[in-house]
Amino acid sequence: SRRKRARARHKPCELRELEVSVSDLGLGYESDETVLFRYCSGTCEAAVRSYDLSLKSMRSRRRIRREKVRARPCCRPLAYDDDVSFLDAYNRYYTVNELSAKECGCV
Amino acid sequence: GMDPAASTSKSNHCLDAAKACNLNDNCKRLRSGYISTCSRAPGGPEPCSRRKCHKALRQFFDRVPGEFTFRLLFCSCKDRACAERRRQTIVPSCSYEDKEKPNCLELRSTEIPSLSLFPSPPRSRLADFHTNCQATFQSLTSCPGDNYQACLGSYAGLIGFDMTPNYVDASTTSITISPWCSCKGSGNMEEECEKFLRDFTENPCLRNAIQAFGNGTDVNVAPKN
Repeated sequence: SRRKRARARHKPCELRELEVSVSDLGLGYESDETVLFRYCSGTCEAAVRSYDLSLKSMRSRRRIRREKVRARPCCRPLAYDDDVSFLDAYNRYYTVNELSAKECGCV
Repeated sequence: GMDPAASTSKSNHCLDAAKACNLNDNCKRLRSGYISTCSRAPGGPEPCSRRKCHKALRQFFDRVPGEFTFRLLFCSCKDRACAERRRQTIVPSCSYEDKEKPNCLELRSTEIPSLSLFPSPPRSRLADFHTNCQATFQSLTSCPGDNYQACLGSYAGLIGFDMTPNYVDASTTSITISPWCSCKGSGNMEEECEKFLRDFTENPCLRNAIQAFGNGTDVNVAPKN
């Protein structure tokens, strides 16, 4: 339902996970191995800091103009998971680091 | 268009075993631990370090439960891609193969200290393997006490030592296991050498244990009647 979807979209920032094939990661590896992909998702409304409010104010008073500034916290990994290794379709092993999030936060 | 059989052939028991490991944090961590150590810089300035690779393999087999490690080692295969994946489990280019094949008895003697007062782990592991995988005609399965698990466990226990065994090829019809050694240059010990090597290459207990595990028939070995 729409209500349910809306609620899902407003979940606070947290770690989620997906089982994906290595090929689907889009890193250029061809492998049917499945890995656990953990990512950060959710809103950061509760994490607005004085910094963000002040930055917004400076921008609206045009004290900050041509610069790219972000006046809202965003949900990003604070730490990344251990390395993950797999065998590709040509029988070569690869190891990828910082593939998956381990901890999330509003930064 | 896409042949539905082509998409199902993408999945096999060895791929399923890798998936199960990747979805378990402990298994994933220790698997990528030995893979990154054993497959370091292919064609790079330095070849892999066999010593470090063996150590990482021992850690994997010691610290990860058999439900994951046995599935990776003994998965059953219907096609070559699967059997090649199974052969690659221990990263054989680093952990197994070498430029030359040493004599099996010489290789064995490096594992047995001249004084057996202090049995080293490799010696007891090799002894375990010979005890638990000794083919016998007195049981239905050809294994001592019909105990497949004990045989598979002592096989896995050899991985990461000089006598590391592996599948010799990616054949799906016949399973042949061997350590990286031969009986050339055995002199008058040729017969003993062949006997030692046959415990790996022509061992019905080991072969039955691997096949039963792959087929999922290892739990019940009661005689059918």
